[in-house]
Amino acid sequence: MIELEHVSRTYGQKLAVADLSLTVPRGELFALLGANGAGKTTTIKMLVGLLRPTSGTVRICGHDMASDGRAACQLLGYVPDEPYLYEKLSGREFLHFIAGMYGLAMAERQERVRQAIEQFNLEGFVDDLCETYSHGMKQRTVFAAALLHDPAVLVIDEPMVGLDPRSARIVKDLLRAHATAGMTIFMSTHSLAVAEEIADRIGIFAHGRLRCLGTLSEIKHELHADEASLEQLFLDVTAEPSTATLLAEKL
Amino acid sequence: MHLPAITVEHSLGRLTSIAEEAALFHELRRRTLSNLVSRALEQSRLRIALVVLLTALLWVALFFVFTDAFRFVSVSLEDTNTRNETIRSLMSLFFASLVVMLAFSTGILAYGNLYSSQEVRFLLTTPVRDERVFLHKFQEAIFLSTWAFLLLGSPVLLAYGLAEGAGWWYYGALLPYALAFAYIPGCLGAIACLLIVRYLPTRRVKLFGVGGAVVVVAVAAIAWPAVFGFRHAWLTPGWFEEALARVRFAEYRLLPNWWLSSGLLEAAHGSSSSMLGREALWECLLFLALLTSNALMLHLLTMACARRVFRTGYTVLHADRSSDRRISAAHAEPWLTAPGSLLPERLRLLVLKDLKLFRRDPVQWSQFIVFFALLVLYFFSTRKLSFDVEYAAWVNMISFLNLAIIGLILSTFTTRFIFPLISIEGRRFWILGLLPVRRDMILWSKFLFAVFGSWIPCSLLAVLSDVMLGVTADLMLVHLLICALLCLGLSGIAVGLGARFPNFRHESPARIAAGFGGTLTLVISTTYIMAIVVLAAVPCHFYSALATTAEVSEWFSSEKLSLWWSAGLGASIVLGITATVVPLRLGLQWFRRIEF
Repeated sequence: MIELEHVSRTYGQKLAVADLSLTVPRGELFALLGANGAGKTTTIKMLVGLLRPTSGTVRICGHDMASDGRAACQLLGYVPDEPYLYEKLSGREFLHFIAGMYGLAMAERQERVRQAIEQFNLEGFVDDLCETYSHGMKQRTVFAAALLHDPAVLVIDEPMVGLDPRSARIVKDLLRAHATAGMTIFMSTHSLAVAEEIADRIGIFAHGRLRCLGTLSEIKHELHADEASLEQLFLDVTAEPSTATLLAEKL
Repeated sequence: MHLPAITVEHSLGRLTSIAEEAALFHELRRRTLSNLVSRALEQSRLRIALVVLLTALLWVALFFVFTDAFRFVSVSLEDTNTRNETIRSLMSLFFASLVVMLAFSTGILAYGNLYSSQEVRFLLTTPVRDERVFLHKFQEAIFLSTWAFLLLGSPVLLAYGLAEGAGWWYYGALLPYALAFAYIPGCLGAIACLLIVRYLPTRRVKLFGVGGAVVVVAVAAIAWPAVFGFRHAWLTPGWFEEALARVRFAEYRLLPNWWLSSGLLEAAHGSSSSMLGREALWECLLFLALLTSNALMLHLLTMACARRVFRTGYTVLHADRSSDRRISAAHAEPWLTAPGSLLPERLRLLVLKDLKLFRRDPVQWSQFIVFFALLVLYFFSTRKLSFDVEYAAWVNMISFLNLAIIGLILSTFTTRFIFPLISIEGRRFWILGLLPVRRDMILWSKFLFAVFGSWIPCSLLAVLSDVMLGVTADLMLVHLLICALLCLGLSGIAVGLGARFPNFRHESPARIAAGFGGTLTLVISTTYIMAIVVLAAVPCHFYSALATTAEVSEWFSSEKLSLWWSAGLGASIVLGITATVVPLRLGLQWFRRIEF
C-alpha cells in the first residue's frame, strides 16, 4: 500500500533522508520513531505529496506520487501535527467541504459526516465556527475529516498531541480497528508507549536513515537486547556517536 | 516487486470534475464570507458602521475634489479635441503606473499566499488539482492588490463621467473595464512569481530587489526626458503641448493602459442619437473586448504555467527554506545592534527583535523601497519648478503637497507593517507576556521602532524635496517639524490602534491590515495627514503669496499673517500630539487588560 523505493531528499547540502526503501502493506499500522531532525517529517511530507524526493519513488497503492498525485491523494488521508481548519467555517461545514473534495455523493456525504460527528464526539461544538475550537477539538475534527472518505492509507504526524486521555483512547482504538479492517496506517510519533501499544511494526530513524525495522521483538532480537525496553532501544539506536567512538572507529 | 495497485474506484469517493471542484470552492468562499459578515454584524456593528462611514467620507471627498478638477479642465481647455487628448494622455500615464504597481504587488502577494500559507499546505495533500489551489489563492492576491484601486479609482472615473455628461453606458462599462484591466497586470505578476520560485528559488529575494530596481530605473529613464529640458516657458501653451508630447510614451497602442483610457473616453462620448455617438459606443465595446480577451488569454497562460510549475516550485522553495541560512542572517547584525545602544537594555532588545524580524522579511518591505525610490525620482524632477515658477506661493504649495505624499506613503507603511506588529506576535505572545517587563514597554518598543524607522527616511525625502524646489530655510524647518509630527502621529495611530484592535488569528500581516482595525487606521491616518498639512500649509501659502502680491484685506495683512502662521503651526503641533497620545493611551489601556 505504501512503497518508498530508494528515496532520498536533500536540503541544500544537508541530507535529510538517505536512500530509504520501505514497504508498508495493507492492514499494517506502522510507527516511525526518531529524534528531532531525524527526517521523519520530511518522509511524511514526501508521502503526502508536499515534497518531492530528490531521487527515488513514492507510491501510494501503486500510484506514483510524482506523476499520478491526484489518484494517490484520493486514496490518502492525512492528519498533520498542526491541524488546519477554515476558521470562518463551522466544523460541520468543513467536513462537508472535505467530503465534497473527495467526491462523495451527496447522500453518502450526509451519512458519513453524521457518522464522523458521532464517532469523534463532535456534537457539542460542530456547529460553532472553527476559530473558537481548542487544539484538541481541532485535532478531533481533523481526524474525522481525514477518515471521511474511508482512505486506503492514513498518514498521521504526531497523532496524540493535544488530545485528552479519553480522546487519545478513542483514537488509538480507532486506528487499531481501521488497520484490522485493512487500512494502511503510517504514523510518526515521539510517544514510545503509543508505538509499543498499537503498532504492528516500528521503524527507528536516525540521521536520515532507517536504523531498525520490524516488530518490537524482532528489533530486540536484532539488537541482542531481549530484556531492554523500547525506550532503551530507542536511546541506544539514536545516540549521537561520541568523539571518542568516532576516533576509535577511524583508528 | 510492486504491490497490486488499488485504483480510485476502490475508494469511497471519486475524483471530482473541474466543474465540481469549482463549485466546491465557490461554496467555500460563499460560506466563509457569509459567516464572516454575519459574525461581524452580530459582534461589531459599531465598528463596521464606523469603517463604512469613514470610507464613504473619504470617497465623497475624493469625488468632489476630482469633480472640481475635471470642471477646471473643461473650463481651461475649451477645445474638445485638446481636452480629450489631454485627458487621454493623463489617464494613459496614470493607468500605466497602475500596471506596474499592480503587477508588482500581485506578484508579491501571490508569493505570500501560495508559498507561505497553511491553507495551501493543507490543500496540496488533497486530490484537488494544483491549478485550482493556485487559482483560489491567486484570486485572493488579485483582490487584495486591486481593492484600493477600485475603491479610490471609482470616484475619479465617476467624476470624469459627470464632467463630460456621459450616458448610462459609461457607468455600466466602468466595472467590467476595471476588472479586465486589473486582471492583466495581476496575471503578469503571478506568472513572474511562479517562474522565479520554480527556476530561481535561491535568488528570489535578490530578484524581487532587482525587479524593484528595474521599475525605478525604467520610470527614471522615461520620466527624466519628460521633465527636463523644456524649450518653452513654464505653464505656457507651448510648454503644455511639449509636456503632452513627452508623456505620449504611455499611449503606446499595444499597452492595456491605452486601451482602458481610450475605451473610457469613447464610452464617455457615446450616444445613441448621433452617428458619431454610435461610433464611439462601438469603439468602447471594441476596447472592452480587447481588454477582456487579453485578460482571458493571460488567465489561460497563467493557469497553464501554474499547472506546470506550481507544485514543483513549492517543493523546491521549501527545500531551500529548510537549508542552512545562518550565515546570510548573521552578517548584517552589527549595524542593527549599534544604534539602539542608548536605550535601556530591555527596551533595546524589544526594538531589535522587531527590527530583525522586519529586515528578514524582504517580501514585506521591498514594495516600499520601490515607492520611496520613485518619490526620490519625482522630487529630483521638481527641481525644474524652482527655476521656472515665478510665484513663491506655487513652490510652497507643491512643497506641502510633496509632504502630504510622503505622509500618505508613510501611512500605508504604518498600516501595513506597524499596525499588525502586536497581532503577528499571535500565539507566540506568551513569550513576551511572561517576560519580566511591563506590558507598556512592549508597546513603547513598537512605537519607538515605528518612529525612528520612519522619521529618518521621511526627513531625508522632505529635505530632498525642499532642496530641489529651493524653498527658504524657514520653510524647510517648518516642513521638518511637520514631517516629525507626521511620523509621531502616524506611528501613534498605528501602534495604539494595533493594540486596541489586535487580531491574533491571522498570521499574514496583509490580512491583519485588511481587517477592521487596519482600515480604521488607514482612514484616520489619511484624515490626520490632510488636516495637519492643511493647517500648516494654508497660512504659509498666504504668507508667501503676500511677498509677491499686494495686501488684499485687513485679515491678510503681513502682521496678521504672521499670527496666522504661528497659529497654524501651533494647531499642527497640538493635533500631532493629540494624534500620538490619544491612540497610544487607548492602546495601552486595552493592552494592559488583554488576556492571552
